[in-house]
Amino acid sequence: MSDQAAVGKLNTNVASSGTLFKLVAFSLSLGIVPLASYYASLHFVWDGNSTFAAITAVFAANLVLVIYIVLSILDDRQTQQSSPRLSPPESKKER
Amino acid sequence: MSVCPPYAPFFGFAGVASAMILSTVGAAFGTAKAGIGIAGLGTFKPELIMKSLIPVVMSGIIAVYGLVVSVLISGSLTPEGYPLFAGFVHLGAGLACGFTGLTAGYAIGIVGDACVRAYFQESKVFVSMVLILIFAEVLGLYGLIVALIMNSKVASGFENLCR
Repeated sequence: MSDQAAVGKLNTNVASSGTLFKLVAFSLSLGIVPLASYYASLHFVWDGNSTFAAITAVFAANLVLVIYIVLSILDDRQTQQSSPRLSPPESKKER
Repeated sequence: MSVCPPYAPFFGFAGVASAMILSTVGAAFGTAKAGIGIAGLGTFKPELIMKSLIPVVMSGIIAVYGLVVSVLISGSLTPEGYPLFAGFVHLGAGLACGFTGLTAGYAIGIVGDACVRAYFQESKVFVSMVLILIFAEVLGLYGLIVALIMNSKVASGFENLCR
C-alpha cells in the first residue's frame, strides 16, 4: 500500500511540475499575444487600419485557446497510456 | 451648439472604461464559479485538472475581448478636434462589448461549474462541455463584432467634422 502510494505521489509530482509550467506559460501568452499581435499588425500589416488589427488580435487569442484545448487533450491521453501499464501484474493475480 | 464640445471626450473615455470594467466583471464571475467546481474536482482526481481548466481559459478570453476594444477605442481619443458623434460612437462600442462580455462570463461560469462536476463522473461529457462553452463565448464575440463595426464609423479620422 505504501509502495503504491509512493509511486502515485511521484507520478503526480512529475505531472504537476510540467502542468504548472504549461499553465503559467498559457496565462502569460493569453495576455501578451493579443496585445502584441494588435500593435504588430497595426504597424506592419494593415497600415494603420485599426479594425483589421483588432480582428487579428481576437483571432490570435482564440488560437491560444485552441492550442490549450489540444494540449490538454494530448496530456490526458499521455496519462491514460501510462496508467494501464501498472495493471497487468494485478490481472495475473486475478487468474 | 458646436459639433466638437469640450466635454465630448468624457463619453469616449466612458466607453473605454466600460468595455474593460464590465467584461472583467463577467470574466471574474466565470473564473470564480468554474474555479469552485475545479477545486472540488481536484481533491478526487487531480489528473483531470488540466482538461477542466478550459472554462477558466475561456473566461480569460472574455476579458481579452474587453481589453482589445479598450485599446482600440483609446487609440483614437484626442483632446482637441473630437466630435460629440465620435464620443457617442465610442461609448456605444464600449457598452456593447462590456455588457455582452458580462453575460458571456456569467454563462461560462455556471456552465463550467456544472459541466466540470459532471465530467468527474462521466468523461464523455467533455465534448459537450467544450461545445456549450464555445456557444457561451461566442456571445462575447458578437458584442466585440458590433463594437468594431460601430468604431469603424469614426476610425478613418474626424478632423473634418469639427470645422
